[in-house]
Amino acid sequence: MSAPRVLVVIPAHDEQESLPSTLAEVREKAPGVDVLVVDDGSRDRTAEVARACGVGVVRHPVNLGVGGALQTGFEFACRHGYDIAVQLDADGQHDPAYLSSLLAPVVEGRCEVAIGSRYVERTGYRAPLGRRLGMLLFSAVVRATVGRNITDTTSGFRAYDRRVMEVCRVDFPKDFPDAPLLIAMARRGFRLLEVPVVMRERQAGQSFYTLSKQLYYPYKNLLASLMAMLRRPV
Amino acid sequence: MHFISRTQVIVAIGAVLLALYVLDLVRRRRLSEEYSLLWVVCTAIIAVLGFSTPLLMWITKVLGMFGAASTVTSFGLAFAVAMLLYLSVKLSRLGAEHQALVRELALLRHELEASHGAGDRGGATR
Repeated sequence: MSAPRVLVVIPAHDEQESLPSTLAEVREKAPGVDVLVVDDGSRDRTAEVARACGVGVVRHPVNLGVGGALQTGFEFACRHGYDIAVQLDADGQHDPAYLSSLLAPVVEGRCEVAIGSRYVERTGYRAPLGRRLGMLLFSAVVRATVGRNITDTTSGFRAYDRRVMEVCRVDFPKDFPDAPLLIAMARRGFRLLEVPVVMRERQAGQSFYTLSKQLYYPYKNLLASLMAMLRRPV
Repeated sequence: MHFISRTQVIVAIGAVLLALYVLDLVRRRRLSEEYSLLWVVCTAIIAVLGFSTPLLMWITKVLGMFGAASTVTSFGLAFAVAMLLYLSVKLSRLGAEHQALVRELALLRHELEASHGAGDRGGATR
């Protein structure tokens, strides 16, 4: 079997500061993979910066949110014949050195979605209290549906098999692709697997999760999770 | 014709005027036929209730309302809720369609740039 074609999808919104170092690091630590930056309606020079780094850039004319950007990445990957897509944050939180360990279970066919998890092993990461409670809640929700423990439901460092992407082209949670996505995937019979990683602090720019979204997030995600449970997988 | 109150007359006339305005909006293509239907049906019901006192009294009695005016108001409110819900559903669908279009546009623009740009710009590169 030939080596699978891997596309690293980097959703980026106003990330001109952190993109160059993130892209340089990917090139250095994972030289064999293609990279696609999805510029999600940035108002800064994100797209130019990415192009200058020599990676593929798809640019949304307006901001769609992480979910929308990721879905565009999946669509691109499917159209261009990639076997696996890896979601990686633009802000430098995710260390590309873990790419190979994240890819391994998907390549070996042990799962369809591999999740880079901060909590599988003690990695020294401690989130603020509110966020920890939220994570507990959502991993409980996911456990109730998926039937197994997913400790890091909010991790945005994941690898997806082509079959998952094909599904995501048409059916994808709009705003935050977290617990609802995992539940929907598990209900379709895809296997999820957590891979231990160490995450860093973001290096520059603004987090996707601003204050107003912090209030909206739990409501929306809980509702979307419940709906994902009730919905019949197509 | 026997009217119970002045309110009833005002509401009835108001409903007729609103219906005429809605139809005029459709005529001037400011409102699509699809949306006008709900409005016309609603205003017609309100107008009929307003002008036909026996029907209004009967419905008021059946629904157990205290006063004919509340019956008319309730119908108006029920319509407002229905319309808002309908619009939310429409808006959600428009949002999803809008997202799909934005994605498609972004991907097409990428392809266009790739075919115009110099060699290695095509596709995702290392």
